[in-house]
Order: sequence, then C-alpha cells, then structure tokens
Amino acid sequence: MARHAAPPDGDNTMIAAIAAILQSATPLIYVALGGMIAARAGIWNLGLEGLMIAGACAAVVGTKQSDSAGVGIACAVVVCVLGSILLWFVIEKLRANPVIAGLGISGLGLGGTDLAIQAIYGNEGSVHAPLSLPQLGAGAGAFAGCSVLVVAMPFVVAALWVVLRRTRFGLQLSACGEHPFAARSVGVDPVRMRLVALAIGGVLCAFGGAELALGRLQIFSVGMTAGRGYMAFAAVVFGAMDPIGSAAAATFFSLVEYLGIKGQLVFGNIAPPELILSLPYIATVLGVWISSRLRGGAAALSELREY
Amino acid sequence: MSARLFPVVRALTFVALALVACAIVFQLAGYPSAGMFAAIAEGAFLAPHAIVHTIRWAMPLFITALGVLVAFRCGYFNIGAQGQFYAGAITAGLVADALHAGPPVLVIPLVLAAGIAGGALWALWPGLLRVLSGTDEVITTLMGNFIATLALAYVASGPLKDGSGSGEVAAARPVAEGFRLSTSSGVSFSLAAIVIVVGLLMWLLVDRTAFGVLGSLAGRNPVMVVWQGARSGRIAIGAFLFSGSLAGLAGALELLGPSGRLLSGFAPTLGFGAILIALVAGLSVSAAAVASIFFGGLAAASLYLPVIAGFPAAAIDIINAAITLLITARAWPAKLTVRAWPAMLRRRTATTP
Repeated sequence: MARHAAPPDGDNTMIAAIAAILQSATPLIYVALGGMIAARAGIWNLGLEGLMIAGACAAVVGTKQSDSAGVGIACAVVVCVLGSILLWFVIEKLRANPVIAGLGISGLGLGGTDLAIQAIYGNEGSVHAPLSLPQLGAGAGAFAGCSVLVVAMPFVVAALWVVLRRTRFGLQLSACGEHPFAARSVGVDPVRMRLVALAIGGVLCAFGGAELALGRLQIFSVGMTAGRGYMAFAAVVFGAMDPIGSAAAATFFSLVEYLGIKGQLVFGNIAPPELILSLPYIATVLGVWISSRLRGGAAALSELREY
Repeated sequence: MSARLFPVVRALTFVALALVACAIVFQLAGYPSAGMFAAIAEGAFLAPHAIVHTIRWAMPLFITALGVLVAFRCGYFNIGAQGQFYAGAITAGLVADALHAGPPVLVIPLVLAAGIAGGALWALWPGLLRVLSGTDEVITTLMGNFIATLALAYVASGPLKDGSGSGEVAAARPVAEGFRLSTSSGVSFSLAAIVIVVGLLMWLLVDRTAFGVLGSLAGRNPVMVVWQGARSGRIAIGAFLFSGSLAGLAGALELLGPSGRLLSGFAPTLGFGAILIALVAGLSVSAAAVASIFFGGLAAASLYLPVIAGFPAAAIDIINAAITLLITARAWPAKLTVRAWPAMLRRRTATTP
C-alpha cells in the first residue's frame, strides 16, 4: 500500500481516531479499575481475564434471551460479582495464594464460558447478540458509535478517584492493602473490606466484558478477551494502583495497539503484524519496569518487611 | 500419618474436592457427570492407545513442571513457562532449519542445546529485571508468554513458512526426518530416556546440591539466607535460568518429537498445566512425576472428549481451573497445610509496586 499523503481533512481523522481509541480502551479501563480496587485492598486480582470473559458471555447470553441490553448487563453483573465472591472466599476463607487462585478464576471463566455456550447453543464457537448497548446516535458525529458505557467511563473514573482518595471508605480500603494490621487496630476488618473491593471490582469487570461484547461487535466468541484481562492487570501496576493512573495506562495500551494497526496500514509488510500486536505487551513490561525503577528502593524494602 | 504423607493426602483431598465441584457444575450445565468422568477415564487410560497419548503429554508437562518447581521452590513466581517453552521451540526450530543437511548425531544435541538456551534467555530477562530493579516477575513472565506466542506465530508463518502447504495454518517447514526423536505419537525410547535423565538430574539438583538447598531455604525465608551471607541475586538468576532451560528443552523435544515442525500456538495449555503439576506435587520432583501422569491423562482426554465421546473439551479446562483454585488453600484441615512451602505461596497481601 502506498504511503498516505496528508489526509484530506486532518481534524476529522484525528477525532475519529480519538473515538476509536476511546472505544477500544473502555473495556480495558473498566476491568483495570476493577483490578485497581482489589489491588488497593491488598489482593492482586489475576482473575480479571476470567471475570471479563464471563461478563462478556453473560451479557450476550442475557441480551439474546431477553432482547434487552439492560438484562444482559444485569446478568453480567450477577455472574461477575458471584465469581469475585468465589475468589474472595478461596483467598480469604480457604487462605489460598491470590495469584494461583486468580489464575484458577481466569481458567474457570475461559473454560466455563466455552462450556456454557456449548450447553446453551450447541456446538458453536460464537454467539451473536440481537442488539448492542444503547449508543449516542447520529447527533454525536464521530462519537455516534460510542455506547453508554463509553460515555459513563470518565464519570466512573472520576467517581472512583473521589471515593478512593477523598472518603473515609477509600482510605480504609487502602489501609487494608498497605497495612492490614493498622486497619484492624482502628476497627476496620480487612477481610470484609476485600469482599467489598472484589464485589465492586466484579461490577466493573462486568461493565468491561459487556462493553467488549456488546459495544461495537454484538458478538461473543470463545476466548475473545485474548489476554485483555491480564493486560488490565498490568495497567493496574503500571498505573500505580491509582484510578486515573490505571485508566491512563489502559488508554495507553489501546493507543499503542491503535498506532500499531495504523502503522501496519501505512508501512504494509515492512513490520510483521505479530510485532505490532506484541507492542502493548512490550509496553506493559517497559511500564512495569520503569515504575519499579522509580520506586526501586522503597519497593525492595517493603517486600522484605512482609516476611 | 508421617510427615511425608501429609502433602500427598492434602493434594489428593483438594483434587477430589475439585472433581466433586466439577461434577456438580457439569450436572447443572446439563451433561451427565458420571458419563463425563467415564469418558475422561477412557480418554486418559482405558481406550486403545489412550495410555500412549497420556504419556505423550505427561513427558513435556513433567519437564516443564520441573522448571516451574525450581523457580517456585526458590520463591520466584515464574508463570512464564508457556513463553519459555515457545522460546525454546523457536530457537530449536531455527537451528534445526539452518542445519537441516547436517548429520543427526551432531545436529540433535545442538538443537536441544538451542532449545535450552532459548528458554533460558526468555526466563533471564524477567529474572534480571527482578533482581536489578525489583520488577515483579508475575507480570513480566506473564507478558513474556504473550510476546513469545506472537513470536512463534511470526516465525512459523514468516521465515520458516512451509511453502508447500495450503497456507491456512501458520506452520513452519517440517524438520528433517533424521532429526525426529519420535513419530507423531510422541512416545519413543529416546524421548523417554531424556525425560528420565532430566528428572533424575533435577532431583539431584533440588535435593543434593548447595543451589537446591539454599534456593529452597531462600524460598522459605529470604531474609534469613541473606543474613547468613548467601547471595540471593545469584540464587534468583539460577532459579530463572534452570526454570527457563527446562521449559525450553520441552519446547525442543516437542519440535523433534510429536510435532515435527513449528506450529503457531501448539500445546497452548502446557505452561498452565506445568504450574498446576508443580503445585499439586507440593513442589517435590518425585510427586511431580506422578502428577504429570494424571494431568497428562487429562490432556489426552481433552482431545478424546469432543471427537469420540461428544462432550465439550472445555470440561477438562474447568477441572484444571477448579484444581488450581483450591490447590494452594491452607485452611482446613489444619494438619494438611504444608509448612515447608515457599513464603511467596503463603504471602497473602499484594506487594505495593
């Protein structure tokens, strides 16, 4: 493909690009926010991948069975919150290792949705939903395809920032992660706070999964998250467990992906598509590495203190 | 009950619990769970040739699990076995392709060495980042899996692409027939011999060398070994290198054994299975051999279920996931908790990054 000259109307392509990045980033942002809350409460949630795909599956199945996107989202929320409670029970009550238990939840989500689709619809790898989430519509110009969840996303980020940084509840939640003993000494039960954190995280994962499946595509296919849940987990770490930081990190990963695809259109076969697809993962590694360099000494010390 | 039996009973308890939970799930999903488990047992051990398939999967699982086990014993969460397996397969494939006209006696060891080197390199960078900058290895090794998966897809469809095929699947040129260690059945005397030798060597490494003993101590109590003057950085790098080389070796053996060529995304659940085996085995080498047979059987059954028995293969994924979910639990019965496990498996709160 020939290289593009200057596009005919630069402003419009720019706005279209922003809309596209926003749409592809939104599922990742919701899931990253869910992981961020759990991380603040002291649980590294590697089950995000499983919760996200469970949310996507439940949203599509619910929408298909009821012909209502609202019911679909409600199904997704119920499934994801139940999954989160299961993770909480295994980690806090059975005292399993969070990383391994999280991988288990991810496996359950990936395998369970596969089984559910086959049990409900016979031998199929994917299911179409009859309708998508409500969208902004033609009046919004380039943003016409954005769903309600995309529109709600900035408000959710802002609300979480206020709740986590400026309220008693948010500070108690952070205390449970940073120093559970101190939290307990002022009458906050870290075990219960983690349940709350994981349940809120489950709701956010449900939104992320629903947006992924019903936002632009109206389809659920087996394994469609393709590692986005793990990428969201990386965004939590990259974003320093901060709502705005995590959302920015998730946006950055989507930006890299978008630029990669655009770059491929421009440069054609010079760069192999696999290299471009791996850019977000490489960016994640670099991001985590940089953030650990920045906090190097402190992180090493805090880790030793835990034993 | 002797102290040696605790971990065995504990693992069996959790596996049994997970199977019961899965039976309930299958029944709720509308599948007859008795029939499902009968089909799994058939696919794993009872049907004709089932035992061959089971051993075919048990061998790479065992070698990869040994690698995971070494890293976990030393207290490092290397969950990148899948990526290191692919990295080993890629370097082995490149060497096998470059030397396709060479004498097998020379080339086969070179290919295996290339696989080991590839896997070790793919584990080295997360290890270095961990030691030098404190970067959490959970994330780096996890991301390494995705990058290596894409790298394999690139190599199989790019530089080594098989021009003769239909081009539908990204598959590399097959390795020369003389280099193959087994037919596509994946079971042969030479493969079994390599696996047994590696198993014995790793048992010696873990139980009878200073590295193995110090590493296990470091895993249990990192502060203590540092205070006693052990160089924890060296132990860490050693753990990552051994871990990666074993996964890489498994990749090279997969290439020269059952697969015979690089295929995009082959053996996709091997790394996850290896982590599971290491944990079910309580990080013991001999127990890992037994656990590998069990999970090799499940892997064989996941190919058998949809084709012969008409059940979804996802059932096996769910069984594996349910075992993963429960296997590190330490609550009840209290006597069954494993006190000797690395501190990282007991660590309950997230570290502040």
